Amino acid sequence: MMSVEPLQTALSCIRTLRSNVGVAFEALGNGIRSDHGEEGKETKFLFELQDLLTVVNNNLRDVEQSINNLQPPHNPFNLGNSGFLSHEYAQDRQALYSQLVQSYKWTDKVHEYCSLAHAQLSQNSLTRSYTNTSSAKRRKIQTSSHNVLPIHVDKVINQIERLLPEMNVNIQRPFASNVILHVSVGRVLKAIIAFKGLLIEWIIVRGFSESLDLWTESRFKVFRKVTENAHAAVMRFYMPTMPDVSVKNFLTWLHSFNTLFSDACKGCGLHLRNAMPPTWREFRTLEPYHEECKP
Amino acid sequence: MGVTIVQHYPMTENRTGPQVIEFLTKRVHAMGAAQAGPFLVDCETYNSAPAFGPPRTVHLLNNSEQPATVFSILESGQKQVPLVSDPLFMDLMKKLGSVYTCKQQTRMEAKGPRFEVADFLVKLGTVTMNANFKGVLVEVEYRPCLVPAACWELLREFMQGFLGTCVPNQPPSYLQNRMQDIYQPLDTIQQYLDQFREYRKAVTVR
Ligand SMILES: [Zn+2]
Repeated sequence: MMSVEPLQTALSCIRTLRSNVGVAFEALGNGIRSDHGEEGKETKFLFELQDLLTVVNNNLRDVEQSINNLQPPHNPFNLGNSGFLSHEYAQDRQALYSQLVQSYKWTDKVHEYCSLAHAQLSQNSLTRSYTNTSSAKRRKIQTSSHNVLPIHVDKVINQIERLLPEMNVNIQRPFASNVILHVSVGRVLKAIIAFKGLLIEWIIVRGFSESLDLWTESRFKVFRKVTENAHAAVMRFYMPTMPDVSVKNFLTWLHSFNTLFSDACKGCGLHLRNAMPPTWREFRTLEPYHEECKP
Repeated sequence: MGVTIVQHYPMTENRTGPQVIEFLTKRVHAMGAAQAGPFLVDCETYNSAPAFGPPRTVHLLNNSEQPATVFSILESGQKQVPLVSDPLFMDLMKKLGSVYTCKQQTRMEAKGPRFEVADFLVKLGTVTMNANFKGVLVEVEYRPCLVPAACWELLREFMQGFLGTCVPNQPPSYLQNRMQDIYQPLDTIQQYLDQFREYRKAVTVR
């Protein structure tokens, strides 16, 4: 791609030139003014004009120089249909071209970021969705956890809820297919969980008195920590072949936070460490530990 | 709001009020506290005129934590009626001057610095009655928790950690019947009122 900077310099040189030519002609058009005084006014006027023309001359040299710095493109620009935009004569549509350029830059950037993100993500061993990048050899449809019938998802979640006495679950489908689960555990915490089929995509844990939304962290340190641990638990409990078991294990783990404020740490025996309760629950035993005490 | 305990901190012979506050401030800082402004709780007490039947008392309390609210507690014999209203109620009480009169010399106040330690809120209050120093009250709130029964042990551990043995193993008597209820701002006010009563009874500093 051609560098834009010399082009910008050239354009600004031309602008300066035009402006100074304007000034020179204006002075010439006005002729001798009262501020030239009486004595030798013609000479003064001529000197002024000469100065102005010198400036114009200098500007012209700048323009030529900056044009010499430009490299002509190797082949003619192919603007496609957008080339016709320059023929637009309706006032309100003349701005379209710059908007078009803006959105082009945008899509270009998005494309660049996407390819970077893709390179990063394909190295990540924690990927939980199947993505078939090799389209050459199409495999059979795999059993996947993100492509499950809504009725089945409802059934699994409702079954789990019945097993957990202190957990209250509310299934919502704001975008038709995938579930956003509103969970409350006792009078201790609330959580919002975004599913893709039976795959847990995202979770935020907040206080019982706080409102739920997917993108705002709790204002309490303790629930921000539990959210962080919940993300780790989602990874830990993930089972590609048995998605309903992994959801069940995860929700059972979350349910154990019913005693978040009343449990003492299994490690040190105290309730508090650094003014925080035990925010960690062992994945298998569900035993409470402080962040600093976990085995 | 979270569960809150209002705790009396006993004075010793060799320390003045400001010295105690300074001592406790150091301890709170040692736990990694960040100062978060001042606080003020005040209480004015109105008595009914004898002409209007059996004597009644109205306590009007303000808490800087709920600046748009006035708490009032009406006492009549053994009965107590709490009322939560907006600040206009103060003006109304003044209009009722012929029925209820305010005893200026019993005006109580607890004020001082306010600290945040992780999710805890700690307030070190200097208690004065009609501008005379009466003692020190420490308020501790655990903001994430709403049910006293769930976090009393945790609060006790926290308070005993920096206040020592003056913190009893049982929750304040006012809370004991309400351990399973969701904690309300009025519960803090009730605890302050209970403490203020004790300070009024005390002849010297407590
Ligand atoms: Zn521990």
